[in-house]
Amino acid sequence: MRLAPFELSQPETVDEVVAALAEADGDACLIAGGTALVPMLRLGLLRPGRVIALHRARDLDRLEARGAALHIGAMATLAAVHRSSVIWSGWPMLAAAAGKVATPAIRSTATIGGNLGYAEAASDLAPALLCLDAEVEVAGPAGQRRLPLSEFFTGFYETALGPGELVTAVGAPAGPPGARGGYIKFCPRSAEDKPLVGVAAMLALDGEGRCRHVRIGLGAAAPTAIRAARAEAGLGGQVLDDAAIQAAADTAAAEADPISDLMGSRDYRRAMVRVWVRRLLSSLRADPDVDRR
Amino acid sequence: MSAAIEFTLNGRPCRADAPGHWTILDLLRDGLALLGTKDGCGEGVCGACTVLLDGEPVRACLVLAAQLAGRTLLTIEGVGADAPDPLQDAFAALGAVQCGFCTPGMILAARALLAANPAPDEHEVREALAGNLCRCTGYVKIIEAVMVTAGEIARCASPRSS
Repeated sequence: MRLAPFELSQPETVDEVVAALAEADGDACLIAGGTALVPMLRLGLLRPGRVIALHRARDLDRLEARGAALHIGAMATLAAVHRSSVIWSGWPMLAAAAGKVATPAIRSTATIGGNLGYAEAASDLAPALLCLDAEVEVAGPAGQRRLPLSEFFTGFYETALGPGELVTAVGAPAGPPGARGGYIKFCPRSAEDKPLVGVAAMLALDGEGRCRHVRIGLGAAAPTAIRAARAEAGLGGQVLDDAAIQAAADTAAAEADPISDLMGSRDYRRAMVRVWVRRLLSSLRADPDVDRR
Repeated sequence: MSAAIEFTLNGRPCRADAPGHWTILDLLRDGLALLGTKDGCGEGVCGACTVLLDGEPVRACLVLAAQLAGRTLLTIEGVGADAPDPLQDAFAALGAVQCGFCTPGMILAARALLAANPAPDEHEVREALAGNLCRCTGYVKIIEAVMVTAGEIARCASPRSS
Protein backbone atom coordinates (compact mmCIF):
# COMPACT_ATOMS: atom_id res chain seq x y z
CA MET A 1 0.00 0.00 0.00
CA ARG A 2 1.37 3.40 -1.04
CA LEU A 3 1.78 6.33 1.30
CA ALA A 4 -0.74 9.12 0.79
CA PRO A 5 0.87 11.71 -1.51
CA PHE A 6 2.85 14.61 -0.06
CA GLU A 7 5.27 17.21 -1.39
CA LEU A 8 8.88 16.32 -0.57
CA SER A 9 11.50 18.97 0.28
CA GLN A 10 15.18 18.10 0.52
CA PRO A 11 16.92 21.17 2.00
CA GLU A 12 20.71 21.26 2.15
CA THR A 13 21.34 23.29 5.32
CA VAL A 14 19.77 23.53 8.77
CA ASP A 15 18.75 27.13 7.97
CA GLU A 16 16.87 25.88 4.92
CA VAL A 17 15.16 23.21 7.05
CA VAL A 18 14.03 25.87 9.54
CA ALA A 19 12.78 28.07 6.67
CA ALA A 20 10.90 25.15 5.11
CA LEU A 21 9.26 24.32 8.46
CA ALA A 22 8.21 27.96 8.90
CA GLU A 23 6.80 28.12 5.38
CA ALA A 24 4.77 24.93 5.88
CA ASP A 25 3.23 26.46 9.02
CA GLY A 26 2.49 23.23 10.84
CA ASP A 27 1.53 21.13 7.81
CA ALA A 28 4.94 19.41 7.56
CA CYS A 29 6.72 16.42 9.08
CA LEU A 30 10.47 15.94 9.25
CA ILE A 31 11.88 12.66 8.01
CA ALA A 32 15.30 11.50 9.22
CA GLY A 33 15.68 7.72 8.84
CA GLY A 34 11.95 7.15 8.39
CA THR A 35 11.76 4.07 10.60
CA ALA A 36 9.22 5.77 12.87
CA LEU A 37 7.61 8.28 10.51
CA VAL A 38 6.88 5.99 7.55
CA PRO A 39 4.81 3.49 9.58
CA MET A 40 2.84 6.42 11.06
CA LEU A 41 2.21 7.81 7.55
CA ARG A 42 1.19 4.37 6.30
CA LEU A 43 -1.24 3.91 9.17
CA GLY A 44 -2.70 7.36 8.46
CA LEU A 45 -1.82 8.63 11.94
CA LEU A 46 -0.19 11.64 10.27
CA ARG A 47 -1.30 13.23 7.00
CA PRO A 48 1.14 16.06 6.27
CA GLY A 49 0.96 18.07 3.05
CA ARG A 50 4.74 18.31 3.05
CA VAL A 51 7.56 16.08 4.26
CA ILE A 52 10.96 17.70 4.81
CA ALA A 53 13.81 15.21 4.42
CA LEU A 54 16.96 15.86 6.41
CA HIS A 55 19.30 13.47 4.59
CA ARG A 56 20.90 16.19 2.44
CA ALA A 57 21.39 18.74 5.24
CA ARG A 58 25.13 19.18 5.74
CA ASP A 59 26.99 18.35 8.95
CA LEU A 60 24.01 16.78 10.70
CA ASP A 61 25.69 13.35 10.84
CA ARG A 62 28.96 14.55 12.39
CA LEU A 63 30.10 12.37 15.25
CA GLU A 64 33.16 13.48 17.22
CA ALA A 65 34.76 14.31 20.56
CA ARG A 66 34.81 18.06 21.18
CA GLY A 67 37.37 18.49 23.93
CA ALA A 68 36.25 16.09 26.65
CA ALA A 69 32.62 16.13 25.45
CA LEU A 70 30.81 14.05 22.86
CA HIS A 71 28.95 15.57 19.91
CA ILE A 72 26.61 13.44 17.80
CA GLY A 73 24.79 15.05 14.89
CA ALA A 74 21.09 14.25 14.82
CA MET A 75 21.38 12.30 11.54
CA ALA A 76 24.03 9.88 12.85
CA THR A 77 22.55 6.42 12.43
CA LEU A 78 22.34 3.98 15.32
CA ALA A 79 24.72 1.72 13.36
CA ALA A 80 27.24 4.59 13.23
CA VAL A 81 26.82 5.22 16.96
CA HIS A 82 27.32 1.50 17.66
CA ARG A 83 30.46 1.34 15.45
CA SER A 84 32.08 4.56 16.68
CA SER A 85 35.45 4.05 18.39
CA VAL A 86 35.09 7.55 19.89
CA ILE A 87 31.85 6.55 21.62
CA TRP A 88 33.18 3.15 22.74
CA SER A 89 36.24 4.86 24.24
CA GLY A 90 34.38 7.36 26.43
CA TRP A 91 30.69 6.50 26.49
CA PRO A 92 30.51 2.70 26.04
CA MET A 93 27.01 2.30 27.49
CA LEU A 94 25.65 4.48 24.68
CA ALA A 95 27.48 2.52 21.97
CA ALA A 96 26.18 -0.71 23.50
CA ALA A 97 22.61 0.57 23.80
CA ALA A 98 22.60 1.64 20.12
CA GLY A 99 23.55 -1.93 19.16
CA LYS A 100 20.57 -3.28 21.08
CA VAL A 101 17.91 -1.36 19.14
CA ALA A 102 15.71 -3.47 16.83
CA THR A 103 17.55 -5.14 13.93
CA PRO A 104 20.58 -4.40 11.70
CA ALA A 105 18.27 -3.15 8.91
CA ILE A 106 16.65 -0.66 11.31
CA ARG A 107 19.91 0.48 12.94
CA SER A 108 21.40 1.22 9.50
CA THR A 109 18.60 3.72 8.86
CA ALA A 110 17.27 5.02 12.21
CA THR A 111 18.99 8.11 13.60
CA ILE A 112 19.77 9.33 17.11
CA GLY A 113 17.88 12.60 16.52
CA GLY A 114 14.87 10.72 15.20
CA ASN A 115 14.94 8.33 18.14
CA LEU A 116 14.81 11.20 20.63
CA GLY A 117 12.39 13.36 18.63
CA TYR A 118 9.94 10.46 18.37
CA ALA A 119 9.98 10.35 22.20
CA GLU A 120 9.09 6.68 22.44
CA ALA A 121 8.98 5.79 26.15
CA ALA A 122 10.60 2.43 25.34
CA SER A 123 13.61 4.04 23.62
CA ASP A 124 16.82 2.08 24.24
CA LEU A 125 18.97 5.18 23.82
CA ALA A 126 17.14 7.55 26.14
CA PRO A 127 17.89 5.76 29.47
CA ALA A 128 21.59 5.58 28.59
CA LEU A 129 21.68 9.21 27.46
CA LEU A 130 19.85 10.31 30.63
CA CYS A 131 22.56 8.60 32.71
CA LEU A 132 25.22 10.40 30.65
CA ASP A 133 23.69 13.83 31.43
CA ALA A 134 23.09 14.34 27.70
CA GLU A 135 21.90 17.61 26.23
CA VAL A 136 19.83 18.16 23.11
CA GLU A 137 20.76 20.86 20.61
CA VAL A 138 17.77 22.43 18.91
CA ALA A 139 17.44 24.85 15.97
CA GLY A 140 14.35 26.87 15.17
CA PRO A 141 12.94 30.23 14.18
CA ALA A 142 14.51 31.89 17.26
CA GLY A 143 17.96 30.40 16.60
CA GLN A 144 19.73 27.63 18.50
CA ARG A 145 19.27 26.45 22.06
CA ARG A 146 20.45 23.54 24.21
CA LEU A 147 18.46 21.82 26.90
CA PRO A 148 19.10 18.83 29.15
CA LEU A 149 17.58 15.61 27.83
CA SER A 150 15.81 15.29 31.21
CA GLU A 151 13.78 18.41 30.24
CA PHE A 152 13.29 17.37 26.61
CA PHE A 153 10.69 14.63 27.16
CA THR A 154 7.49 16.26 28.36
CA GLY A 155 4.89 13.51 27.99
CA PHE A 156 3.72 10.42 26.10
CA TYR A 157 5.38 10.90 22.65
CA GLU A 158 5.72 14.61 23.48
CA THR A 159 8.82 16.79 23.61
CA ALA A 160 9.83 20.34 24.44
CA LEU A 161 10.31 21.10 20.72
CA GLY A 162 8.37 24.23 19.81
CA PRO A 163 6.69 24.98 16.47
CA GLY A 164 9.24 24.97 13.66
CA GLU A 165 12.06 23.48 15.77
CA LEU A 166 14.19 20.40 15.11
CA VAL A 167 16.84 18.43 16.99
CA THR A 168 20.24 19.07 15.38
CA ALA A 169 22.59 17.23 17.76
CA VAL A 170 23.00 15.39 21.03
CA GLY A 171 25.88 16.15 23.37
CA ALA A 172 27.26 14.48 26.48
CA PRO A 173 30.03 15.50 28.89
CA ALA A 174 32.77 13.08 29.89
CA GLY A 175 31.70 10.82 32.74
CA PRO A 176 33.47 10.92 36.11
CA PRO A 177 36.81 9.07 36.37
CA GLY A 178 36.38 5.38 37.07
CA ALA A 179 32.68 5.42 36.20
CA ARG A 180 31.07 2.07 35.54
CA GLY A 181 27.85 1.74 33.62
CA GLY A 182 25.65 -0.37 31.40
CA TYR A 183 22.29 -0.77 29.71
CA ILE A 184 20.10 -3.87 29.74
CA LYS A 185 16.71 -4.44 28.15
CA PHE A 186 14.09 -7.04 28.97
CA CYS A 187 12.47 -8.42 25.82
CA PRO A 188 10.02 -11.18 26.74
CA ARG A 189 9.06 -11.86 23.11
CA SER A 190 12.04 -11.64 20.76
CA ALA A 191 15.46 -10.01 20.57
CA GLU A 192 14.53 -7.29 18.08
CA ASP A 193 11.55 -6.01 20.05
CA LYS A 194 11.39 -2.79 21.99
CA PRO A 195 11.95 -3.42 25.69
CA LEU A 196 9.18 -4.23 28.15
CA VAL A 197 11.51 -2.32 30.47
CA GLY A 198 15.01 -1.00 29.82
CA VAL A 199 17.45 -0.02 32.54
CA ALA A 200 20.64 2.00 32.29
CA ALA A 201 22.87 2.81 35.24
CA MET A 202 26.13 4.57 35.90
CA LEU A 203 28.10 5.10 39.08
CA ALA A 204 31.61 5.57 40.40
CA LEU A 205 33.00 3.99 43.57
CA ASP A 206 35.19 6.10 45.86
CA GLY A 207 38.24 4.83 47.79
CA GLU A 208 35.98 3.31 50.46
CA GLY A 209 33.79 1.53 47.92
CA ARG A 210 30.93 4.01 48.31
CA CYS A 211 28.73 4.97 45.36
CA ARG A 212 29.21 8.43 43.88
CA HIS A 213 27.65 10.05 40.83
CA VAL A 214 24.78 7.56 40.72
CA ARG A 215 22.54 7.64 37.63
CA ILE A 216 19.65 5.25 36.93
CA GLY A 217 17.68 5.67 33.69
CA LEU A 218 14.48 3.76 32.96
CA GLY A 219 12.81 3.07 29.61
CA ALA A 220 9.15 2.02 29.25
CA ALA A 221 8.69 2.56 32.98
CA ALA A 222 6.68 5.79 32.63
CA PRO A 223 5.01 7.77 29.81
CA THR A 224 8.54 9.00 28.93
CA ALA A 225 12.03 7.70 29.62
CA ILE A 226 12.93 8.88 33.14
CA ARG A 227 15.68 9.07 35.73
CA ALA A 228 14.93 7.17 38.94
CA ALA A 229 15.97 10.17 41.02
CA ARG A 230 14.94 8.86 44.45
CA ALA A 231 16.71 5.55 43.88
CA GLU A 232 19.82 7.45 42.77
CA ALA A 233 19.76 9.66 45.88
CA GLY A 234 19.28 6.65 48.16
CA LEU A 235 22.23 4.78 46.67
CA GLY A 236 24.61 7.76 46.81
CA GLY A 237 27.18 7.32 49.58
CA GLN A 238 26.23 3.68 50.17
CA VAL A 239 28.48 0.65 49.78
CA LEU A 240 27.19 -1.35 46.77
CA ASP A 241 26.10 -4.41 48.75
CA ASP A 242 23.00 -6.62 48.39
CA ALA A 243 20.91 -4.53 50.78
CA ALA A 244 21.75 -1.23 49.02
CA ILE A 245 21.06 -2.76 45.61
CA GLN A 246 17.71 -4.17 46.74
CA ALA A 247 16.72 -0.84 48.31
CA ALA A 248 17.58 1.00 45.08
CA ALA A 249 15.57 -1.52 43.04
CA ASP A 250 12.57 -1.19 45.36
CA THR A 251 12.71 2.61 45.22
CA ALA A 252 13.05 2.65 41.42
CA ALA A 253 10.01 0.36 41.13
CA ALA A 254 8.05 2.65 43.45
CA GLU A 255 8.86 5.79 41.47
CA ALA A 256 8.17 4.14 38.09
CA ASP A 257 4.82 5.16 36.60
CA PRO A 258 4.33 2.62 33.80
CA ILE A 259 1.55 2.34 31.26
CA SER A 260 -0.32 -0.88 30.49
CA ASP A 261 -0.27 -2.12 26.91
CA LEU A 262 -0.27 -5.37 24.95
CA MET A 263 3.29 -6.15 26.04
CA GLY A 264 2.57 -5.98 29.74
CA SER A 265 0.45 -4.46 32.45
CA ARG A 266 1.41 -1.55 34.66
CA ASP A 267 1.93 -3.86 37.64
CA TYR A 268 4.06 -6.34 35.67
CA ARG A 269 6.25 -3.54 34.30
CA ARG A 270 6.74 -2.17 37.80
CA ALA A 271 7.72 -5.63 39.07
CA MET A 272 10.17 -5.99 36.19
CA VAL A 273 11.76 -2.59 36.96
CA ARG A 274 12.58 -3.98 40.41
CA VAL A 275 14.10 -7.17 38.93
CA TRP A 276 16.16 -5.54 36.17
CA VAL A 277 17.48 -2.63 38.27
CA ARG A 278 18.70 -5.21 40.79
CA ARG A 279 20.28 -7.34 38.06
CA LEU A 280 22.05 -4.42 36.40
CA LEU A 281 23.42 -2.99 39.67
CA SER A 282 24.58 -6.50 40.69
CA SER A 283 26.43 -6.91 37.39
CA LEU A 284 28.02 -3.48 37.78
CA ARG A 285 29.34 -4.54 41.18
CA ALA A 286 30.95 -7.64 39.65
CA ASP A 287 32.11 -6.10 36.37
CA PRO A 288 32.69 -2.37 35.92
CA ASP A 289 32.30 -2.60 32.18
CA VAL A 290 29.36 -4.89 31.49
CA ASP A 291 28.93 -3.62 27.94
CA ARG A 292 32.36 -4.61 26.66
CA ARG A 293 32.82 -8.16 25.57
CA MET B 1 5.35 15.66 -8.74
CA SER B 2 8.05 13.29 -9.94
CA ALA B 3 11.79 13.78 -9.82
CA ALA B 4 14.58 11.89 -11.57
CA ILE B 5 16.79 9.91 -9.23
CA GLU B 6 20.21 8.68 -10.33
CA PHE B 7 21.80 5.80 -8.47
CA THR B 8 23.59 2.50 -9.02
CA LEU B 9 21.25 -0.49 -9.16
CA ASN B 10 22.74 -3.97 -9.08
CA GLY B 11 26.03 -2.72 -10.48
CA ARG B 12 24.60 -0.61 -13.29
CA PRO B 13 23.79 3.11 -13.49
CA CYS B 14 20.06 3.72 -13.14
CA ARG B 15 17.95 6.83 -13.70
CA ALA B 16 14.33 6.59 -12.61
CA ASP B 17 11.43 8.91 -11.98
CA ALA B 18 9.59 8.65 -8.67
CA PRO B 19 7.04 10.85 -6.90
CA GLY B 20 8.29 12.24 -3.59
CA HIS B 21 6.05 9.97 -1.51
CA TRP B 22 7.36 6.75 -3.09
CA THR B 23 9.54 4.42 -1.05
CA ILE B 24 12.36 2.34 -2.50
CA LEU B 25 9.91 -0.57 -2.51
CA ASP B 26 7.39 1.38 -4.62
CA LEU B 27 10.13 2.33 -7.09
CA LEU B 28 11.46 -1.22 -7.39
CA ARG B 29 8.15 -3.02 -7.77
CA ASP B 30 5.94 -0.43 -9.51
CA GLY B 31 8.48 1.80 -11.26
CA LEU B 32 11.07 -0.73 -12.36
CA ALA B 33 9.05 -4.00 -12.35
CA LEU B 34 11.66 -5.71 -10.18
CA LEU B 35 9.40 -8.03 -8.19
CA GLY B 36 12.05 -10.00 -6.28
CA THR B 37 11.86 -7.56 -3.35
CA LYS B 38 8.70 -8.59 -1.53
CA ASP B 39 6.01 -6.32 -0.10
CA GLY B 40 5.11 -7.78 3.29
CA CYS B 41 4.07 -5.62 6.24
CA GLY B 42 4.94 -2.12 4.97
CA GLU B 43 6.06 -1.15 8.48
CA GLY B 44 9.62 -2.44 8.63
CA VAL B 45 8.73 -5.37 10.83
CA CYS B 46 8.75 -8.47 8.58
CA GLY B 47 12.04 -8.05 6.66
CA ALA B 48 10.67 -9.35 3.34
CA CYS B 49 11.73 -6.13 1.55
CA THR B 50 15.32 -6.09 2.90
CA VAL B 51 17.78 -4.69 0.33
CA LEU B 52 21.37 -3.48 0.67
CA LEU B 53 21.97 0.29 0.44
CA ASP B 54 25.69 1.05 0.19
CA GLY B 55 26.21 -2.50 1.51
CA GLU B 56 24.03 -2.10 4.62
CA PRO B 57 20.67 -3.82 5.01
CA VAL B 58 17.68 -1.48 4.96
CA ARG B 59 13.92 -1.92 4.73
CA ALA B 60 12.85 -0.83 1.24
CA CYS B 61 9.36 -0.05 2.61
CA LEU B 62 10.73 2.54 5.09
CA VAL B 63 13.22 4.50 3.00
CA LEU B 64 12.05 7.14 0.51
CA ALA B 65 13.15 6.56 -3.07
CA ALA B 66 14.61 10.10 -3.07
CA GLN B 67 17.22 8.90 -0.58
CA LEU B 68 18.73 6.65 -3.26
CA ALA B 69 20.34 9.58 -5.10
CA GLY B 70 24.04 8.96 -5.64
CA ARG B 71 24.01 5.70 -3.71
CA THR B 72 24.38 2.00 -4.50
CA LEU B 73 21.48 -0.43 -4.18
CA LEU B 74 21.63 -4.21 -4.33
CA THR B 75 18.42 -6.22 -4.69
CA ILE B 76 17.95 -9.97 -5.05
CA GLU B 77 17.99 -9.52 -8.85
CA GLY B 78 21.64 -8.49 -8.50
CA VAL B 79 22.62 -11.57 -6.48
CA GLY B 80 23.71 -14.65 -8.42
CA ALA B 81 22.67 -13.24 -11.80
CA ASP B 82 25.42 -15.20 -13.58
CA ALA B 83 25.90 -18.16 -11.25
CA PRO B 84 24.15 -18.81 -7.93
CA ASP B 85 25.67 -17.11 -4.91
CA PRO B 86 26.99 -19.58 -2.27
CA LEU B 87 24.13 -18.51 0.00
CA GLN B 88 21.58 -19.34 -2.70
CA ASP B 89 23.23 -22.75 -3.26
CA ALA B 90 23.16 -23.49 0.46
CA PHE B 91 19.51 -22.38 0.85
CA ALA B 92 18.50 -24.69 -2.03
CA ALA B 93 20.65 -27.64 -0.99
CA LEU B 94 19.50 -27.59 2.63
CA GLY B 95 15.80 -26.94 2.01
CA ALA B 96 15.88 -23.50 3.61
CA VAL B 97 13.27 -22.31 1.09
CA GLN B 98 9.63 -23.31 1.31
CA CYS B 99 7.11 -20.76 0.00
CA GLY B 100 10.01 -18.43 -0.82
CA PHE B 101 8.40 -15.14 0.19
CA CYS B 102 10.98 -14.38 2.88
CA THR B 103 13.93 -15.75 0.90
CA PRO B 104 15.12 -12.61 -0.95
CA GLY B 105 15.21 -10.64 2.32
CA MET B 106 16.88 -13.52 4.14
CA ILE B 107 19.58 -13.85 1.46
CA LEU B 108 20.34 -10.12 1.51
CA ALA B 109 20.33 -9.87 5.33
CA ALA B 110 22.64 -12.91 5.49
CA ARG B 111 24.89 -11.45 2.81
CA ALA B 112 25.28 -8.23 4.82
CA LEU B 113 26.09 -10.25 7.93
CA LEU B 114 28.76 -12.35 6.18
CA ALA B 115 30.32 -9.25 4.58
CA ALA B 116 30.71 -7.66 8.01
CA ASN B 117 31.45 -10.86 9.92
CA PRO B 118 32.60 -13.79 7.73
CA ALA B 119 32.75 -16.22 10.66
CA PRO B 120 29.62 -15.64 12.76
CA ASP B 121 28.56 -18.05 15.48
CA GLU B 122 25.00 -19.35 15.49
CA HIS B 123 23.86 -16.72 18.00
CA GLU B 124 25.18 -13.94 15.74
CA VAL B 125 23.34 -15.43 12.75
CA ARG B 126 20.12 -15.60 14.74
CA GLU B 127 20.49 -11.98 15.88
CA ALA B 128 21.28 -10.76 12.35
CA LEU B 129 18.17 -12.49 10.95
CA ALA B 130 15.91 -11.73 13.92
CA GLY B 131 14.00 -9.10 11.93
CA ASN B 132 13.34 -11.38 8.96
CA LEU B 133 10.18 -13.37 9.58
CA CYS B 134 9.60 -16.80 8.03
CA ARG B 135 6.24 -18.50 8.51
CA CYS B 136 7.21 -21.84 6.88
CA THR B 137 10.59 -23.21 7.84
CA GLY B 138 10.87 -22.67 11.58
CA TYR B 139 14.25 -21.03 10.83
CA VAL B 140 16.37 -24.11 11.60
CA LYS B 141 17.40 -24.75 8.00
CA ILE B 142 17.85 -21.05 7.24
CA ILE B 143 20.30 -20.68 10.14
CA GLU B 144 22.02 -23.89 9.03
CA ALA B 145 22.36 -22.62 5.45
CA VAL B 146 24.02 -19.40 6.61
CA MET B 147 26.38 -21.33 8.92
CA VAL B 148 27.28 -23.74 6.09
CA THR B 149 27.98 -20.81 3.76
CA ALA B 150 30.22 -19.19 6.40
CA GLY B 151 32.06 -22.51 6.69
CA GLU B 152 32.55 -22.63 2.90
CA ILE B 153 33.93 -19.09 2.92
CA ALA B 154 36.39 -20.03 5.67
CA ARG B 155 37.50 -23.18 3.78
CA CYS B 156 38.08 -21.20 0.58
CA ALA B 157 39.97 -18.45 2.39
CA SER B 158 42.34 -20.62 4.44
CA PRO B 159 45.39 -22.38 2.97
CA ARG B 160 44.88 -26.14 2.43
CA SER B 161 46.36 -28.36 5.07
CA SER B 162 47.24 -31.97 4.32
